Order: sequence, then C-alpha cells, then structure tokens
Amino acid sequence: MNAQPDAAIVVSNVTVSYGAKRALDDVSLTVPAGASFALLGPNGAGKTTLISVLCTLRRPDRGSAAVAGADVVRMPTQARRSIGVVFQDSSLDDRLSAWENLEFHGLVYGMPKKRRRTMIEAALALVELEEWTHDIVRSFSGGMRRRLEIARALLHEPRILFLDEPTVGLDAQTRQRIWQYLETLRRERGLTVLTTTHYIEEVEDADSVCIIDQGRIIAQDTPAALKERFGQRWLTVLPQDQEAADAILASVPQVRRLGAQRLALPAEDEAATDAFLSTFRDRLSEVRFQPPTLESVFLSLTGRELRDRADGQRDAEKAAGRRGGQR
Amino acid sequence: MEMLALLRGLYAIWLRELTRATRDRAQLIGGVSRPLIWLLILGVGLNPYFRGEVYGEVRFVIPYTYLQFLFPAVIVLNIMYTSIQFAVSVIWDREFGFLREVLVSPMPRPLILLGKVLGGSTVAMIHGGLVLILARFADVTLSPLQIVQALGLMFVLAFGLTSFGVILAARVRSFEGFGVFSNTIILPLYFTSSSVFPLDPSLTRAQIVTAYPEWLVFMVQINPITYAVDALRGILITFNQFPSAMGSAVIFGMAVVFFVVALLDFRRA
Repeated sequence: MNAQPDAAIVVSNVTVSYGAKRALDDVSLTVPAGASFALLGPNGAGKTTLISVLCTLRRPDRGSAAVAGADVVRMPTQARRSIGVVFQDSSLDDRLSAWENLEFHGLVYGMPKKRRRTMIEAALALVELEEWTHDIVRSFSGGMRRRLEIARALLHEPRILFLDEPTVGLDAQTRQRIWQYLETLRRERGLTVLTTTHYIEEVEDADSVCIIDQGRIIAQDTPAALKERFGQRWLTVLPQDQEAADAILASVPQVRRLGAQRLALPAEDEAATDAFLSTFRDRLSEVRFQPPTLESVFLSLTGRELRDRADGQRDAEKAAGRRGGQR
Repeated sequence: MEMLALLRGLYAIWLRELTRATRDRAQLIGGVSRPLIWLLILGVGLNPYFRGEVYGEVRFVIPYTYLQFLFPAVIVLNIMYTSIQFAVSVIWDREFGFLREVLVSPMPRPLILLGKVLGGSTVAMIHGGLVLILARFADVTLSPLQIVQALGLMFVLAFGLTSFGVILAARVRSFEGFGVFSNTIILPLYFTSSSVFPLDPSLTRAQIVTAYPEWLVFMVQINPITYAVDALRGILITFNQFPSAMGSAVIFGMAVVFFVVALLDFRRA
C-alpha cells in the first residue's frame, strides 16, 4: 500500500466473489481527497459490492482497500469513523421521527449532547426538512427520506461520503436538489464524494468517472477525456419491421442491436452514413443522431446501452415475482 | 471519553427498542390482553376445581388458590411472548436495512447486540410487570421488596429469552416463518413448565393417586421454563416445587448461554 498522501480512497486489486459469481474482478482505483468520483455501470456491475467493501461490510476475498488512510479490514473502526454512507435502499427507522433518527446516529457515533443538537439542526436545515423535524419517517415521501438519509450520513462530519444510487426513483427536481447539496458540501468542507449511478446525465459534472461492467473497470478519466477518447457520434434507427431489421443487420456489419428493436451505427464516417441512409431510408420509422456523450462512451466500450441491462434485470425480477419467488 | 462514547451508543440502541415498543400498538394490546384472558377466564374458571371442591364436596386442600398458583406463570408467559417475538424486530432490522446503519458505525459488534438485547429485555420485563397490577385481583399480596426481587428476576429471564429470540432470528429467513413460533415453541414450553398444573405429587396426598404419565413428568423436568416459573412462585407466593436456588441458577444460566450463542451468531453474520 503506497498511496499518495492526499488520496481519500485507495483500492488495490480487490476481488470479491459470491459463490461462483465474481462480483469484483481485480479492481484498483484511487480517489484524491476532495474529489467527486462517479462509479458508472449497469445494475449488477459490482458497484454496490465495491461500496460494501469500502464501508467495511464485506471483506474482499483478495486485495486491499483503504479509506482516509485506514485499511478497511485491519482498522475497520477507524475507517468507519471517517465515512458516511447512503445506501441504495433506505436504512432509516420509519417508526422514529426525523429527529430521533438523527439523534440515534449522533449517539451511536458518540457525539456529545451539545454537538448533537447543533449538528442535527444544521443537517435538517441543509436538506430543508426543519418543518418535519418531529414527524414520523413513515409519512415521508421517497425524496424526503433520501434527503434525511443524506443529512444523517453527514451528521458526524465524515471526510468521505458514499452514495449508492442516491437518486434512484426520485423526480428530476429532487435529484437536482440533492446534487446541489452535495456540490455545496464538497466545496465548503472538502468532502470526498463517491457516487454510484446508472443515470448518465448525473455524472457529467463529476471530476472523474469510472466505468465498471461485470466486475471490471473498463475506463476511468474525466468525463471530457472519456468522451474525447471513446465517444463517437452514433446513428440510432428504428426499423419499420423485423424484416427491415434483418436486412440491415445482414448488409451492414458494424451495426449493433440496442434493446429489442433499435439498431445503432457508428456515424463518424459521413459517406458511410449517407450511403446507409439512402439505402434504407424508406424502411426506417425513426432516425436519430447521438452526439458523443458518456452514454455513447459506454456503448462504444461494451457494445450495449446502459439502460438495456437495467431494464432486462427489472424484467427478470418481475418474472420471478410472478412465479411467487420460486426458481 | 472513549468509554462515554460507547455508552452513548449503547443507550441509543436500548432507547430505540423502547421507543419502537411504545409505538407498536399490536404488541402492547397483546401484552395487556393476554394476562387478562388467562387470569379472568382460565384462572377464574378453574379456581373452584383446583381447591378440590367438586360438586360442593371437598376432596383435598391446597394452600393456594388456582389464581394464586397461575399468577406467576402468566407473568412468565407474557415475558416469553414479548421476548421471543423480539426476533421479529431483529429480522426487521436485517430485512429493511436498518442494521447496516449500525454496522457501518464505529460501535463494536458485541455492544450493538448487547444494546439490542437489553432493549428487548426491558420491554419484555415491562410486559411481565404489567401483570403485577392484577396481583390484588389474584389475591396475591406483595411487599415492595417482593416486587423489586420479582422485577430483577423477570429482567434476567427476559434477557435470556430475548437472546433466544435473536438466535431464532438468525435461523429464520422470513417473517412468514415466524408466525409458527408461538404454536411450536412458546405454548409447548409454557404448558410443560408446570404453569397450569402442579407437578409435585407430594403437594397433597390426594394427588399422588392421580399421578401424571412418565413422559409428561420428564418433559416438565427438562424444561428450563419450569424452573423460571418456580423461582417466580417462590418470590410471589412463597411456594416452590424445587429447591429455591435452582430456579435462579437456571434463569442466570439461560441468560449467559443464550447471549453467548447469539453473540457468536451475530459475529458470523
């Protein structure tokens, strides 16, 4: 472990398996202090597993990880003191009030009474929940719960904040608000923020983006550099019928399937694009050019769309639900 | 300072259990209605028969009424229900994610479990204590010292049984599986604890004749709850069927053994 002194998070060659399935495969990364770092990948890519390792809930099978200079396996208590975590699913006690949830957190982190009081008031003000201070959490909306969880994770003034899919299931307005709080904190307190997400648009502002797929890191850089290096313009089309789709797939080898119906074609070469459009113009019901975005970076690197997999998994879960949870 | 911080955490976990218990109406209603049903219906109903007065003819005489005899057992029943149902709270924390909030905190694992078990035992002790309000009705007169002794013993018993609930929770995957417990664990343990009928035939000469089958006597003797009920009877109505030290020994033994097993389970998880 020879980390740079100003590194907040250092992960070296971490491997984690669940039975035969390898959730993380030889992952290494470094996050400098005060950075906003985004882990981007489809569901099941291993993002949550990496967070579990970093917040000391899961020991890595191989490799090591350190947060704020403390090894998560050898010095778990010291590591836990310096981190705040917002989990993917709510971990609030919904029978307690907002205040009681925060008071619990303050006590468990050993904060003295006076400091608890001032910090709880400040935290509730930060996420604009003062009005609901003594309301039971059960009556809160999804967005309010999330905000309360962020307030709670920040209560003991951690140096590093982990957010696992913090904005899933929230409306656009709440999402934006949450990102604003975090940005403010990062600037004011020098907080290091590590976020996992599969919403591409949310990581455009991050200092550094790490794209992870099937337990492996496939690219890591600033959003601009990633787009520069891997991004290309894509032409996505919706063929009129299955026959048209088959014809396109048969005659243009670079074309990739996107989801059930759409097809995507690299659109860097104008002559080739023109030729394609003039040939199939009459058999397409929709044509769209995608500028280089992180979405297209992901597409170029994996040959899939981020959302594809996410939706596929949701369908699988629904099917399992219909079977009554039986395999 | 460090010590103080740990105590704060322990207090927080304990307090959360108490707060949750006061907000759980169903549990509270159960805690109040159960002793009422047992004492008002079963107790009152069987009271005349226990005295041996069958059809007005006195067959044998016992120094206690059935209500008095049943009273300490109903306290134990109330503690058993609340303690063992505590597993639901543990499963709840695990399934709904609250457990992770504590696990990523700097609190040491054993203290997390201790706080939780202390909280659960306090709630169970209070539920047991509620029954004491009915003492006058059951013709049991209590001195303040008796009440303090009884509450102390009830707390240790609740601590052991709550740890037992935690052990069960580690082995049960779902809430659905839990409903079975009251029928397969609580009631059989209760009925074979000499709670609703006296075991010792030497209690009266007449009862020697009506001996119990061998297997039932065996079940009663290996059941640790038997000794808990007996210890509480010793305090509340000064009646013991077994050596008086035995009850306390079994209650303390259960508390230690079950907590250690729960701790080992919790560490592994």
